[in-house]
This record gives sequence, structure tokens and C-alpha cells, in this order.
Amino acid sequence: MKGISMMSMRSGFTWSVIGLCAGLLISIEARGQAPSPGATLFEKRCYSCHNIGSGDKKGPDLKGVTLRRSRDWLHEYIKSPAAMNRRGDPEARALFKKFAPEVMPDQDITDEQIDAILALIDELTRKNETFVPAGAKLSRPVTPADIDLGRQLFVGRRALSNGGPACISCHTVSGVGRLGGGTLGPDLTAVNVKYRDPELIAILQNPNFPTMKTVFGTRPLTDEEIVQLFAYLQNVKPAHPTTQALAGIARIEPWFVTIGFVVLLGAIIGLNVIWKSRLRGVREPLVRRSTS
Amino acid sequence: MDVRLQISMVFHLDKCIGCHTCSIACKNVWTDRKGAEYMWWNNVETKPGTGYPTAWEDQSKYKGGWEQRNGQPELRMGRKSSRLINLFHNPHLPKLDDYYEPWTYRYEDLFDSPEGADQPTARPISMITGKPIDIEAGPNWDDDLGGSPVYAANDPNLEGFSPEQREELFDVERLVFFYLPRICNHCLNPACVAACPSGAIYKRGEDGIVLINQERCRAWRMCVTACPYKKTYYNWSTGKSEKCILCFPRLETGQAPACFHSCVGRIRYLGALLYDADRLLETLNVADEKLVEAHRELILDPFDPYVQAEALKNGIDDQAIEAAQRSPVYKYVKEWRLALPLHPEFRTLPMLFYVPPLLPVMARAEQGLYDTSDKELFAPIDKARVPMEYLARLFAGGNVELVRYSLKKQYAVRLFKRMDTVGDIDRALVKRALQEVEASEDEAEQIFRLTSLPTMTERFVIPPSHREEALAMLTQDLWEEKGGAGLGFREPPTRGA
Repeated sequence: MKGISMMSMRSGFTWSVIGLCAGLLISIEARGQAPSPGATLFEKRCYSCHNIGSGDKKGPDLKGVTLRRSRDWLHEYIKSPAAMNRRGDPEARALFKKFAPEVMPDQDITDEQIDAILALIDELTRKNETFVPAGAKLSRPVTPADIDLGRQLFVGRRALSNGGPACISCHTVSGVGRLGGGTLGPDLTAVNVKYRDPELIAILQNPNFPTMKTVFGTRPLTDEEIVQLFAYLQNVKPAHPTTQALAGIARIEPWFVTIGFVVLLGAIIGLNVIWKSRLRGVREPLVRRSTS
Repeated sequence: MDVRLQISMVFHLDKCIGCHTCSIACKNVWTDRKGAEYMWWNNVETKPGTGYPTAWEDQSKYKGGWEQRNGQPELRMGRKSSRLINLFHNPHLPKLDDYYEPWTYRYEDLFDSPEGADQPTARPISMITGKPIDIEAGPNWDDDLGGSPVYAANDPNLEGFSPEQREELFDVERLVFFYLPRICNHCLNPACVAACPSGAIYKRGEDGIVLINQERCRAWRMCVTACPYKKTYYNWSTGKSEKCILCFPRLETGQAPACFHSCVGRIRYLGALLYDADRLLETLNVADEKLVEAHRELILDPFDPYVQAEALKNGIDDQAIEAAQRSPVYKYVKEWRLALPLHPEFRTLPMLFYVPPLLPVMARAEQGLYDTSDKELFAPIDKARVPMEYLARLFAGGNVELVRYSLKKQYAVRLFKRMDTVGDIDRALVKRALQEVEASEDEAEQIFRLTSLPTMTERFVIPPSHREEALAMLTQDLWEEKGGAGLGFREPPTRGA
């Protein structure tokens, strides 16, 4: 009993401190219109999968999460969701189940950073506002010429200036090459339907997916490249009406099957020609020849 | 001169009755195991016939042995580069069907079948799949000319014979066949050793036995193709190739190999030969017809003091030299020139020699009498039912003279003994016969004795293996091994069940 009351006392104290800090932050933001550290962090680390106030994305909408869950739980969960799921925490399990197959990767993040993000969520929840990414804006308006430039970047005809690999090595969209692009990442044909514009821009600026983070963390896209790629991805036309429904699933097209069959047939004939002198049995043909 | 010792063999075909006792002895000792059911390290073939595996002598199909290319012996199966390319797909392997699918019978059906109108039968079942099979081939399917229109008629050695000659061979009252027992020849120039990519096959230094190291074998099966006699076999259960080991555990303890020991016709002789390893290459670079002579030249005279001294230098001890002097193989091959190697043209220098058989003669049926007599001295040789060319193709690379000499000598010995025991032949005739083959009466008597009345110790002259010397190479203190035998305990014994 004593422990619990101590806990509630301590958390009450923490709450008041956080409230104070949050109030301070809001006032700063209100005065200078500069994004709070929480907002910058959220945009960079969380926004590719989470919203505040505008619905579930790959992960749940975080509006009101600080009211639904305890602080300790949030801290622990953010640092290692998988560990908590393994441990059998019922809430973690429910989340994993709901958003399968997406799995939130473990975050390399400090307690202070988490607190800043939670403060932002708290504030927006209280004010009943939605999070609008401050940095998720294009550096200039899109022009029609950007579409083709973006395509060149996507297929790797022009190299990314910071040395990142071309998108096509992991992604495909309809209309790039006969054999399409890579299959490691998802098909990006309908990516403009999957994400709203600011979200897509935020991803291009800061791809916080485990694979992309390691690849592009030290080699980010430049503002100009973001504009061009954004323009291209917005304008990719699905090849078939069903493509959108099948986005992300590899398509098997008839011409591909035909080519595969022809190549296989060629290989079989070729190997038979190369090894035409091999022994195909001696006794059977001898008996056949002698008895016919 | 680089003197080596080789345990060599002579099979006297004139005495073989084709009983297959040797095959059974070998099967019971060595190949009565899973994966080895189809192997016959020792088999007995009927000639003319295609043998086991079917038509093994036809190297246009099986690509075994060596051939002369640019004055150098090269494996017929291809150069190193082409062997490497085909490493994962050796295209010249015999199929199981070319050997035969081993089978047994479901004997329990004879006892367990429910009562019915018919007698139960034991169905043949495959020893590989365990399912019922229709038997279509066996290891001696063409035994005693069985199925001769299919098998004997397609004997690869009959190639080049005219249709009339072939027809005569299988005519009633002219029909003829003989038996050819075969084991691994433990060749001086083994193609299997040369072809092995793993270096698993080796020729033992002390006695020339060719063995496959079961730990190093990687089942490439190049040896199966390379051996022109098809005497290495792939064990599908262990994934290793196996071959005749000349019963080396028996040889090392002074016993003859199982097939030699069990031979009821006593056709098998075993003894040591000394040969000059330095001259191997020049021996291999002669024409087919001269191969047998070159092969004989390679074998050294164990009575020559120079050879003895060189042998001692190479670690061949006095007892081994003495065994080589008593070797029946040396007498048959070198002294008497009676025994010939099987298919010398494969150029592996096989060290198993055959005394060609004296076969039934042509006869006339006159006034109801079956007459085989003739005025000519060696008429039975030249008018034998099997053309001399056929034997020459088997045993002399096509050199008819060598076969004729061996047969004439055997016939002369018969005449000599007939004069000796029955006394109805003129001595002058016998003398003439012996002169033709440059043999003395003393030599004829010796040939007769070793052919007809040899004792066990005369047939098998096995040099002592001196295992204590092998042991001395492995351990410093021989006293430690006193009273020990074999390999010792491979796993230490423990108390309890």
C-alpha cells in the first residue's frame, strides 16, 4: 500500500514538472513559431508511421496515448516493443496483433527524447489539434519537368548526390523497365494513395524504416531530389486497373511466364546437346535391337 | 632400375568349369551388404558373351582405360579439363540396368499365403526398392550361352568377323564357349587411380594391391568410368566406391584370397612378381600387338643378382625375393610364356594373367562316325572351333602368334604326357612338338605338374607381409606392442551391458 501511494506521489510530481515544461515549450513556440524539440523529434522519428489526431497509419494514432497508458509503459514500449511482446504484456500483444505484419522497430532513443515527444502528444491532445509537420514542405513548387527528372533519379540514370542507392534497387513502380525494380521494399506505385502529401515528404526527408534508415541515414536526399522524386511518385500511373489493389504484391505477367518457359526449354535442349555423348544404357538398347 | 613387388595372379582357363564358387565365396565375404548387392567383385563370364556389366569391353560406350594420344597414354574418358567440366555430371556411367537390378524372393509368401486352389509362389522383389520386379537381367544372364542371339552375338570381340564366321560360331555341333572368371587386375597403370579427383584410390607400395580409401572417397565415380574392366563399383548406400581388395587381410596373414581358396577347379595361382617401375612409360608407348611382349619385358628375373640387389635397396626383403623366385605366376607368364593378360590394349598393364583354353576341335560326321582325328600335328589348335583371332583379341591385343604359341605349348605338354602315361604316341612326334615351342621334356613335366598336380603351397606363394616392420614405422618401442594384434580396441571396453 505504501509503495503505491509513493508511486502516485512521485508520478504526480513528475506530471506537474512535465506540465510546467510543456507550458514553457508552448509559450516558446507560440512566440517564435519555431518547432518545439518534441515536434522536430516526432517528425523525424515517428511521423513516417504515426499520426497525432489524423488517424492510424502503419502504427496507431497517438492522440491521447499518454492518457491511455502509463508513462513507464510508454518508455519501455518505445525502446523495445518486441521485447515487451515477447514478455507477454497484454497491451503490447494486442497492438502487435492489430497492426501485423508491421512491427515497430526498437528505437535508439534517450529517456529525455521520449519525454519531449510525449509532451508534444500531451499538448496536442489537450488542445485537440492534429500534428502538422513543420519541415514536411517542399523547398519549391513542383513543375512538370520534375516528373521526368524524378524518374531519372528513381531508375538510377542520375545518381543521388549524397551517394545513396537508386530507389529501383529495392523498389519497383509500374512502368520502370521490363523486369521492374527490386522486391526488397514495397511497390511504390500507389504510394501517393497510401500516404498523404506531408507524410510522403516527411518519409523522403527522413525515412525512419529500419532498412532505409541504415542506407539513407548518412546519405540523405537533397531538397531538390525530394521535389523531383515527390513529383515522380505522385504521377506514376498504374499499368492495370487492378495494380492498385495488388500494390506490394509481385505481379506475374504472361509475357514473363512465356519467356521463362522458352529459356527453360532452351536450357534443356542445350544441356542435351552438350552431353549428347553420354551413356544412355547399354543392355536395354542391345536387347531391343537384337529382338526386334 | 626401380624394382617393385606386385602380387600377381594366373587363371588357368583350361581348368575352369564355370561353377561360380569363387563368385559366391567373394559375395559372402565382402559384398553381402546393403548397397553392394549388385556388385560382383569376382564374376565368371561365358565367352562368347557380353559379360557383366553388359558389353563392358566396348570402350566406345564405356570410355574406360587408356588410349594413345600424341604418343602419350591418356585416359579415354577425357583430359583433366573435360573431366573437371563433367565433374558433377559424369556422362559415361553404366546404368544399374547394365549391371542388373539385384533381387531376392518373398519367401514368406510360401508359408503365409491363405489357403487357395493354387500353390503359392515366392515373387521376386528388388533388393533396392523392395517392390516386385520382372527379372530381365542378371550378373551371369548369358551363362552357358543363355540368350546367345542377344548377348553372345553382340560380343564386342566379334567385331570385324564376317557374318559367316559369326554364324559358324553358333552352329549346332560347332557351338563352343568357355569361361572367363574376372576380378580386379590390380594393374600397374591403373586408370581408376589416375581418374580419381579425390586421390582416394591408391596402389599399395608393398604389394601393388589397388585400394579405395573409404574415408577420402567423395563418390565422384570417375573410377567407375575409367576402369576398362568395370571392376570398381559405386555403393549407393554408403555413397562410396568399392572394389576387389584381393582379400588383403587374408594375404597379410598368409592365406589366399577367398575366391582363390575356394576354387574347385584349382585354376587360380597367386605369387609375387618383381617389375621395373622406371620402364612403365616406355612399355605403354608401343603398338597394341607388341604390348604383351613389352609387358613381359617389364617383369624382372628374380634370380638375377643385380635385380636382387636393386630390390633390396627398395626395401624388398630376402623372403619376398625368395617368394618371387617360387612364384607360379613368374613361371606361367615369363618362363613358360603360357599366360597372357586380358585385353592388354586397354593399356592398364593388368597383373592378372590367363592361360588361354584349349577348346574343342572341329570334327566331321562321316558314315555315322564323329571323327576328330587329323594328320596335322597341331591341327587341334588351328582347327579349334573358336577362331584364334577371337582369343587374340581377348588376350593379346590382336597378336595371334602369342596365343598360338601358348596353345601349341599346352598341346605339346598333353602329347608328352600321353606318350608318358598311355604310350600310344611316337616319341619322335612328341620331340617335334616340343621343339616347335622350344621346350624341353623337363619343362613339359614341370608345366604338367604345376597345371595338374599342384599343392596349395605351390599355387599360392604369398610373401610374408612383415607387419612388424609396418608397426616399427609407427611406434618407437616394439616391446609395447608385444602380444598385441590387429588394430587394438577402436573403442575402449567398458563394464556392463
